Amino acid sequence: MLKRNIRLRREYLYRKSLEGKERLLYEKKRKIREALEEGKPIPTELRNEEAALRQQIDLEDENIGVPRTHIDDEYANATERDPKILLTTSRNPSAPLTQFVKELSFVFPNAKRINRGGQVISEITETCRSHEFTDVILVHEHRGVPDGLTISHLPFGPTAYFGLLNVVTRHDIKDKKAIGTMPEAYPHLILNNFSTKLGERTANILKHLFPVPKADTKRIITFANQSDYVSFRHHIFEKHGGPKSLELKEIGPRFELRLYQIKLGTVDQNEAQTEWVIRPYMNTSRKRKVLGD
Amino acid sequence: MQITDPGGIEALHRLKATDPRLPLNPSLSATARAASRYLFSSLRPFTLKSPFDQLLVDGFDAEQIWQQIDLQSQPLLASLHRRVKQLEKNPEEVSKLKTVLGKGEKKVVEEMKEESEGLDEDSDDFDEDDEEDEDEEGEGKENEKVGLENVDEDQEDGGDSGESDSEEDNAEGGGGIEDQFLKIKDMQEFLEDGENEGRGLKKDNKMKKGGRFDEEGTEDEEEEDDDEENENDEEDDDEDDELGDFALEDDEDEENARYEDFYGAKQKKGSKKKVKFIDGSEGSDTGDEQDDKPFSSQKQETISTHEKQLEKQRSKIERMEKANMEPKNWTMQGEVTGPKRPKNSALEVDLDFEHNKRILEGHFDDVQRALRLPSKAPREIKELDENKSKKGLAEIYEEEYAQKTNLASAPLTFKDEQKKEASMLFKKLCLKLDALSHFHFTPKPVIEEMSIQANVPALAMEEIAPVAVSDAAMLAPEEVFTGKGDIKVETELTQAERKRRRANKKRKFKAGEAKRTPKKARESALPNPADGTKR
Repeated sequence: MLKRNIRLRREYLYRKSLEGKERLLYEKKRKIREALEEGKPIPTELRNEEAALRQQIDLEDENIGVPRTHIDDEYANATERDPKILLTTSRNPSAPLTQFVKELSFVFPNAKRINRGGQVISEITETCRSHEFTDVILVHEHRGVPDGLTISHLPFGPTAYFGLLNVVTRHDIKDKKAIGTMPEAYPHLILNNFSTKLGERTANILKHLFPVPKADTKRIITFANQSDYVSFRHHIFEKHGGPKSLELKEIGPRFELRLYQIKLGTVDQNEAQTEWVIRPYMNTSRKRKVLGD
Repeated sequence: MQITDPGGIEALHRLKATDPRLPLNPSLSATARAASRYLFSSLRPFTLKSPFDQLLVDGFDAEQIWQQIDLQSQPLLASLHRRVKQLEKNPEEVSKLKTVLGKGEKKVVEEMKEESEGLDEDSDDFDEDDEEDEDEEGEGKENEKVGLENVDEDQEDGGDSGESDSEEDNAEGGGGIEDQFLKIKDMQEFLEDGENEGRGLKKDNKMKKGGRFDEEGTEDEEEEDDDEENENDEEDDDEDDELGDFALEDDEDEENARYEDFYGAKQKKGSKKKVKFIDGSEGSDTGDEQDDKPFSSQKQETISTHEKQLEKQRSKIERMEKANMEPKNWTMQGEVTGPKRPKNSALEVDLDFEHNKRILEGHFDDVQRALRLPSKAPREIKELDENKSKKGLAEIYEEEYAQKTNLASAPLTFKDEQKKEASMLFKKLCLKLDALSHFHFTPKPVIEEMSIQANVPALAMEEIAPVAVSDAAMLAPEEVFTGKGDIKVETELTQAERKRRRANKKRKFKAGEAKRTPKKARESALPNPADGTKR
């Protein structure tokens, strides 16, 4: 098992190193393709390799045609299987935090909650790997109020660190009858305003926590980005009257997520490369919208 | 002037007295003719350019009489209209005229008005009566005209405006194109003027036939108009000059053309019956009138579209101003503390953006299941036979050993036996089917074992004869003997060749012998194995 992991890791790093060359190749192919389409002469630097490249262009399909980056490669095979999530907290969680995590386990379909106990992070990830979990989610708190969320994709995927704000849990709403029960069908997703590259990356991370839903499901989870604060909302909708009538009922917890770091390794790897980290102390940080628009 | 012709007057009275519903009789006709002649001659002095001195009624057709009357009255009416318009424009003239007008003449006018109001339009005679009416009115006007001697060019406009007013009332009668600005009559007059100036003539009645019927209707309507207006018109004509159809214009009138002249003073735009001004019959541009026509008619009907737009804008502006005056939404105010805003309102994120729309459309960002390319063929699942093995353990070992030493008998596994059985069955089936089609397209059955068949025919031909397997081993020469190079028989060989062959043969024999001798030594050394397997 250890050897296998090491081998996989090495493969991954190798593929990452090939990226530069692959990108060059991709660029060359692209130039040739453009020149052919427009009817212009092929640029002189490509003349020697033109024949071979042209043959490759003819043979390539949509999988090969796109340059692969190591970054989203982690999710390349994610669509083939349903995600399996492990939910846990920081050590010695308070009661509200446990309630919150319990709610979250209903929000994510196919999620399992375990007690933290005295486990170390590496142990947790070991467990996950052996049981073939795809993601691990850790929830942190401050005096009962949940304030941190760490989503780690498992094979060797990225880890995204979020801060939580304005958390409203279902337990806070005392009236049980008003809120009703939470359905457990696979939900539809709406991810709004993730327009930059980093935004797309975050959207990907959040998206692959959920499995492929049925087309007619009534449950909707919304991640809406507004000036780098992503709001999470969970609704059930009904169409009573006709095509245009829409009744949304909010269920489930609601909170705002604020991304502050993405690392290119799992959560137990401290020395993994950081893909992106927040810089709030710059003067222009107020003006910069990093997740999109 | 034979206005005092008693016979004529009497005839007129009698005609008036007859009941329209009575059947026609020749005496009525005679009366009618007399009356018409009388009227004609009374109007004769006013129509300077008429070719007739008297109305010729003896032996003439109604149609012909009509034509004569027409010839006389057309230009007359035109001039009268103009005069009335002129007087409308300058109402102060009217007061002047009133004083001048004599009592007797006024009476005559009123009388004639009464007569004209009583009559109908149905038969020829009544047509004539109509003409009489018109003639009467014309006569009345002429009478007033005669009384005065002032020629005031400005008052032409008053007459013209009167004319335009009357025709305005009958806008449909002009075929829908006439309005306050465009009168077909005026246009025709203008055209005639142009022609006549070239020709030196001043009048051409024939052009005006088209407008004739308008005037008939016009006259009737005019009769129903306000009495005041009629009186006004008639009085206005007192000062109408006798220049005829085309009045000379004052130059200053043309230069001072104003908006008010065309569209009236701005408050009056809604009213159709109000007096509108025209700058003379030949001064106005027919082209402009055409363009202005739809606009003016729109304005006349209701509030125009432009007005409506302005209304909408105004109301919108009002609403916005009102909203600005009200206290602002808490999100728009500067520093808002908790008590100042509604409860939990800070938690309400503005989610609408397109949230609802997307849900309605079903436009979600779900994870899509990727198509998986078939990476490898599905592996064969080994079927395990669950029955107890029939062979003893010793037998199993035996088979294994045999397998190791020589490959001849490879014991078939359970699966292989099943396979073999299946393939045998299938082969039999195929053979039967192929026989049915005389072996025509049979593909060769796939033989899984690779074995070199020495005596098998290379080709399977269709045989029409019944199935019979030929014993003849039809082997090709290559299948019999494969040899390379030049094959020579012993007799063909040269001496050297023969020697070479013998030498090779000997060499091979010696090599074989060398191998055989150590083998023999080994054989003798090892004891025979107990199971008696051949070496």
